[in-house]
Amino acid sequence: MNLRRTPHLLLRCLRTWMAAGAATLAGLFAAEDWPHYLGPRHDGVSIETNRVDRWAGAAPAVSWRAQVGLGFSAVSIAQGRLLTAGHRAGRDIVWCLDAATGKPVWQRDYPAELGDKFYDGGTGATPTVEGDRVYVLSRWGDVLCLGAADGKVHWQRQLAKQEDARVPGWGWNGSPLVLGRLLLLNVGAAGWALDKATGKTVWKSADGEAGYSTPQPITWHGQPRVVFSSENAYTAVNPQTGAAVWSIRWLTRYGVNAARALVRGDEVFVSSGYSKGAALFRVGEGGAEEVWRQRQFRNQFSSALLLDGHLYGVDGDNDARAKLKCVDWKTGEVQWEAELGFGSLTAAGDRLIVLTAAGELVMAAAAPKSFQPVARAKVLEGRCWTMPVLSQGRLYCRNAAGELVCLDLRRGQ
Amino acid sequence: MKTHRRRFLKTAASLGAGAWAWRPSWGAPPAEKFRTALIGCGWWGMNILRDAVAAGRSKVVGLCDVYGQALEVSADEVNDLCGDQPRKYRDYRELLAKEKPQVVIIATPDHWHALPAIAAVEAGAHVFVEKPTSHTVQESRAMLNASKAAGRVMQVGLHRRIGPHHREAMDFLRSGKVGKIGMVRLFVAGRGGAETPVAHAKPPLGMDWDAWCGPAPMRPFNPRMHPGGWRNFLDYANGTLGDWGVHWLDQVMWWTDEKHPRRIYSTGGRPVSGPAVANDKEATSDAPDTQVAVFEFESFTATWEHRRYADNPTERHGVGAYFYGTRGVLHIGWRDGWTFYPVEKGVPQAHGAPRFDNEKDGHNNPPLWRDFIDAIDTKRKPVADIEAAHRSSILPMLGMISYKVGRSIQWDGVKEQIVGDPAANALLRRDYRAPWQYPKS
Repeated sequence: MNLRRTPHLLLRCLRTWMAAGAATLAGLFAAEDWPHYLGPRHDGVSIETNRVDRWAGAAPAVSWRAQVGLGFSAVSIAQGRLLTAGHRAGRDIVWCLDAATGKPVWQRDYPAELGDKFYDGGTGATPTVEGDRVYVLSRWGDVLCLGAADGKVHWQRQLAKQEDARVPGWGWNGSPLVLGRLLLLNVGAAGWALDKATGKTVWKSADGEAGYSTPQPITWHGQPRVVFSSENAYTAVNPQTGAAVWSIRWLTRYGVNAARALVRGDEVFVSSGYSKGAALFRVGEGGAEEVWRQRQFRNQFSSALLLDGHLYGVDGDNDARAKLKCVDWKTGEVQWEAELGFGSLTAAGDRLIVLTAAGELVMAAAAPKSFQPVARAKVLEGRCWTMPVLSQGRLYCRNAAGELVCLDLRRGQ
Repeated sequence: MKTHRRRFLKTAASLGAGAWAWRPSWGAPPAEKFRTALIGCGWWGMNILRDAVAAGRSKVVGLCDVYGQALEVSADEVNDLCGDQPRKYRDYRELLAKEKPQVVIIATPDHWHALPAIAAVEAGAHVFVEKPTSHTVQESRAMLNASKAAGRVMQVGLHRRIGPHHREAMDFLRSGKVGKIGMVRLFVAGRGGAETPVAHAKPPLGMDWDAWCGPAPMRPFNPRMHPGGWRNFLDYANGTLGDWGVHWLDQVMWWTDEKHPRRIYSTGGRPVSGPAVANDKEATSDAPDTQVAVFEFESFTATWEHRRYADNPTERHGVGAYFYGTRGVLHIGWRDGWTFYPVEKGVPQAHGAPRFDNEKDGHNNPPLWRDFIDAIDTKRKPVADIEAAHRSSILPMLGMISYKVGRSIQWDGVKEQIVGDPAANALLRRDYRAPWQYPKS
């Protein structure tokens, strides 16, 4: 590690901790689990800043590769185990692998449609780990609670067939969120809550077409709230009752509201693809007031990250014309753009880690002045739309065909 | 015949120049804005409407769709684009009656082209209708007759008649440098595999599925059909031949003096995607993944072939038209522009790069729209006029009739009848689902 960078990094880390409200001082050599989609703070940002600069000179070392089946599920990491999902021959498979070796610990499968509507199809949501349980939502409404140790089915529901929930055009793709005793799913007009112990419905929202984002926990005026996207809105609800606290009308073609809403103070950022664009709203007593709106930052699937007052994300629909962009939170102005094509991203401190759709891993500084790539490495072939995950010094990337690669960032130069 | 062709070419060329030269002039008084409506507010309909707004001659007064979400999204976007606040309709008849549009864009699925297009010209509007003209041959004829009777312009979205590299290629072809053409091969290939049935589902919230099916058979809603997937359901469209084939068959009809083929044969099936499934629980699409069609003209033969698997890795080009002449082969493609491959040694290859007005979707709709407006202003035929587009659009439909009956058909292009085959001839039309009435031609 470059020593001269240390104070700066420390500052960044401290800021991250403060933002997260973390009380512990894990130190610069922090490592953490990533037990669900978007990580422990639900923001897509890792605190493992000590790892990322190590592969600057060469491609990071490949620890292992595995084949997990067709789909776009990311990975969750908890207690040395990796959870993900894929599709093969008419069945979805939930995988538990040893995170260090890639060796299967257990797997659980259930019948599922491929769902290859204008894309490869396969699984969408990422399994969520909490304690000794793993929660899974399939695109077609299967909800499974599995033992984290052995994959045993503790309970199972089918929301489309048993509950007549309305399947959105591409199936449900938001990952499950555990909040206290609740399991929250982006199903219906603004969410669906199950008792995580039994799978029984606690509340459900009105009949409606869900969006494709993962339920986003926020604190709103001191209260825990959860934001759900539907085909035409982002709605914050009281997770205990399902009652809507506020709702922002946000209509996107085909109902694809897939990126999560980002909330800071009383400001809410939303973005979607299909030429829709992005907007910042100030939400008050009288409803949502538009602060700015533009059509140059269209997050089709992958959510933007908010780092130090700036948004970083992929603009454009899934093709080579898409660009990585930096946008000012306050004004919506594009600060810079980089011709990386479509992709998705995570971050470690002030480092963006982008996996392009073509399988190139690009590390760049999260700096609003200009695009500053630090390192690039081709890590996968095929179509990569899934967010890369950094946890315990390992970076996990997958492609649609189900090739999962583990890169060891602890063994850098 | 010859004279007519020359006249047609000359007209087309001068129109082209006019279209390119057209641009809003700051000094001149503002040109009239047409009260414009869009029927069918999906992806392509909004593409056309955006071009219409950009051309500056439209005030968007009405939108119509049977799916509320598409209607709302499109209305929002129009409002963002130009400040117009179009009223929203679920029924095109109500839109025509209340808004009295001067210009109507129709971008519904194929089975929903004829009725609104005919109603629009009868209500006095000029029509820009998406390709192919219709789903069955006699609907297309009825559209042509209605537009003539009403004296209204009907432009069809065959933008490859105005795209710069297509025009260049056509000039090259007509220059004689390819020699005498004896055969044209048209093709597209893609990737794919077995198709698994998908369970029927509830239609999206706010979609009137009964109205979506309209005059066509009412089938259970299947997620494969919407959005866009209806192209591969033969109740609503004509598969790849209807969707892609029409563009390339239109290049042939643009080039040739002849007005129609005299014999058509088509074969194919679903050897890779598997048998079509349609039961009360689930469905696959039912259009062929493999198809060959032969169009026998008096002076040349045109063939169509498509595969929705295997791609086309043995050839440089994945889509387009090969014109085979005594001096070489001319390929007209899409994102690969056009290329001439000479047979004689020492003659250089010739090539023209593609130029798209819309790079993302790779098309030249904006100049086609400007041509449409200019045709209205100057009371002339547009470049993809319904009469020419009808002759091109019915070729895939005839190909599909041969495919369905499993034998070649003899076509009387003057009477527009299939000769000596009443069963095939009956497929030039179909009975509409009540209460809709098949248009009279």
